[in-house]
Amino acid sequence: MSLTESASPTEVDGAPAARRQRTALLIISKYGTLIAMVILIVIFAIASPGGSFLQPLNLLAILSQSALTAIIACGVTLVLVAGEFDLSIGYTASLAGVLVTGLMSNQGVPIPLAILITVVAGSVIGLVNGLLVAKAGVNAVVATLGVGTAVVGVSFGYSSGQPIVSLPAAFTAIALGRSVLGVPNLIWLMVIVLVILWVLLNRTPLGFRIQATGANRHAAALAGVRTDRAKIAAFVIAGVCAAIAGILLSSQLGSGMVSSGDGYLLDALAAVFLGSATLRDGKFHILGTLIGVLIVNIGFNGLGLVGTPTFFQFVFKGGILVFAVALATIARRYARS
Amino acid sequence: MTDTSTSANQAVPLIRFTDVSKSFGGAQALRDISFEIRPGTVHGLVGANGAGKSTLIRCLAGVNPPDSGSIEIDGELVDIPNPQAAGELGLAFIHQEMSLIPGWDVLRNMSLGMPLVTAGGLIDWRPMRTKALAVAERLGFSFPLSRQVDDLSTADQWLVLIGRALMADARLIAMDEPTASLSAREAERLHAIIRDLVASGATVVFVSHRLDEVTDLCDDITVFRDGTVTRRVVGERLRKAELVSAIVGKDLEIPDHGRDVIDRGDEVLRISSVGDGRMVKDASLVVNAGEVVGIGGLVGSGRSELIKAVYGASRFTTGSVSFDGKNVAFRHPSEAVAAGFGLVPEERRAEGLFLDESIAFNINLARLDSLVVSRLLPFLRLSRGRSRAQAVANQVTVKARSVSALAGTLSGGNQQKVAIARWLIDPPRVLILDEPSRGVDVGARAEVHDVIRALAERGAAVLVVSSDNEELVALCDTVYVMVEGRVSGRLAGPEITVDHLTHLSFENHHERGDAA
Repeated sequence: MSLTESASPTEVDGAPAARRQRTALLIISKYGTLIAMVILIVIFAIASPGGSFLQPLNLLAILSQSALTAIIACGVTLVLVAGEFDLSIGYTASLAGVLVTGLMSNQGVPIPLAILITVVAGSVIGLVNGLLVAKAGVNAVVATLGVGTAVVGVSFGYSSGQPIVSLPAAFTAIALGRSVLGVPNLIWLMVIVLVILWVLLNRTPLGFRIQATGANRHAAALAGVRTDRAKIAAFVIAGVCAAIAGILLSSQLGSGMVSSGDGYLLDALAAVFLGSATLRDGKFHILGTLIGVLIVNIGFNGLGLVGTPTFFQFVFKGGILVFAVALATIARRYARS
Repeated sequence: MTDTSTSANQAVPLIRFTDVSKSFGGAQALRDISFEIRPGTVHGLVGANGAGKSTLIRCLAGVNPPDSGSIEIDGELVDIPNPQAAGELGLAFIHQEMSLIPGWDVLRNMSLGMPLVTAGGLIDWRPMRTKALAVAERLGFSFPLSRQVDDLSTADQWLVLIGRALMADARLIAMDEPTASLSAREAERLHAIIRDLVASGATVVFVSHRLDEVTDLCDDITVFRDGTVTRRVVGERLRKAELVSAIVGKDLEIPDHGRDVIDRGDEVLRISSVGDGRMVKDASLVVNAGEVVGIGGLVGSGRSELIKAVYGASRFTTGSVSFDGKNVAFRHPSEAVAAGFGLVPEERRAEGLFLDESIAFNINLARLDSLVVSRLLPFLRLSRGRSRAQAVANQVTVKARSVSALAGTLSGGNQQKVAIARWLIDPPRVLILDEPSRGVDVGARAEVHDVIRALAERGAAVLVVSSDNEELVALCDTVYVMVEGRVSGRLAGPEITVDHLTHLSFENHHERGDAA
């Protein structure tokens, strides 16, 4: 009597060619970026000298190179799911690098405590962003741009603009080590952070409340969701992820520098939007963001191996973002009409 | 009204649909639709939500061109591949969701899409203003063209949209549920304007769920059911009961819920002299357990504002609210929900549902905490959530492939059922419904009413805001009527009649301060 199959059994006479076309378009809109990734892998496998692209070491290198971007990008994915925006993540990562190294080398703080303080600092930056946006009602772009700029100032003030070097070996070993199965620690850490974020977003009440807030904040509030808290939580998580990535970056570089993490902002946002064109109809999600990060890094790595000039690698990066999102959007539109 | 005999002689219809079919995905939305729209008439399209009226209008508007079949205008075959083509053919469409640009004034909104430019490529306002003034005169605008459309009432906004159609010299104006959000008096005014338009040669297609106005206003009526035309009425008056059975496909009996013998429980909610400093001035009412209490009155009388203030979506500044004998003043809806309140809001699509999320997501959202494994392990048991959603969706007979379907793919009636189903899980002590059957078809409406009654019988205190007096009569044990922010009267049991309600709604509260 209810929840029955609504499709009528006599619809078969509707042109099968049109249906096939619709199915093809739906596949392109959902799996287009994945297909593009597979095509890239195949091309580079063939074109790279001696098939060096597919060497296990090279594949691990791609994943390592993706790790930091993936951690930042998946954190900021939650902010975008909540319907907001965060421009401060790159600067937060930079500050985290300066802070964690400075605490150790200037203040002599033990490694675990330095990391803890830095992560807390990242969460505080996220909290300030969240309070400004959710409580004071400041536009997210304005609030996070302002906070991010202030964070740059804090980084300069704390480090006097000088790179902080001479770090404990145990600290640099975090990012450079290969503790388990010979796989770089960065990859393990990326997997752990991403799994936690995925579970948080897709399997906890908080995650559902963040989704509901982004999907329709009026409806969410009237259903009893504290939309302000959901947004604040998302900003805090993004701040924590940015701090983790900044710590790992300084561990990898063996130094803390004021602008070392700034570039992650655009890379992360590009990956998030690239990911929104993957698997789910234009929605931001963790797995999509990971795929977005991987495509960009596979492209960079492969183009490097093939011997393409650097300028072209950036053209590729921008091009694939616009192309993939546009293709998915157009395919979706035609599939629906 | 046109003279039936002469217009029947006009051989060429303005629009003729022949075997128009349209399907979306697997679902056949329209099947071999054939009928004609005579020029200079008001043509009513009626049917349940999802019956195909809106789809047909979208075919005509060039939004979703038909898969097969033909459309003729003035006897000539036309192809309407896009909305621009529809506009060039003199067809104008006014949709349920208003298409005015907020922040723009009346003139700019009316001129939208009008390519009047000077030789230099700039917009030539002077002829447009002249034309707009003529249109304003014809429609009897009571506001200047420089007024921002946000500042107008819903009824006046409709006039602006009709004005836009006239600016574009439309021959046919299709209106999708124009009166759904209008009060009875505003609707009357709109009817008069439609009659004037038709008398001066325009043709109006009128989609409405208010069957009284359809039988009253329309010259011809076409009834849709399940994507087909089930009845075509040309130039004759139909009784409402016949119309209802054509829509539903069977005779609908009006359920008697036996309100004289209800077993009234304890007082649950008492609202005493509540005001919000704006729309709500002085509202008092009592809801007991097991009782359905209605709030009637005109649109704009402060009813929605009152319940939102009680629910914590806004604040009340004077008076008090007591729940189970204790004073409460919720600062956020989440506090109300935690205390045992639930709200089904008026604006289903804007405030009630997540259209891009699944039915299960929509239903479970207010009760996520009871889905987790444990407090320490806050992980959601999604399969349990789905079966739970499925169970309540069955209770309200949601028609959908599965609870994984997106809420946005459902018809209006089914969306409303989903919005209500959310509160069937662990039902709240107080359930508030704002316009529960607006934009809901006749059959689904009866089902929605059954669900509301069943909730009350299980002990909930139910508060229903409705502009539809027939709904209040059918549903409520007690009805309070609000006028200009004050409760002007209370009706109970057999006193609740459409006449009494209408009377109280237009009553001046000064003359009859504390009725009942």
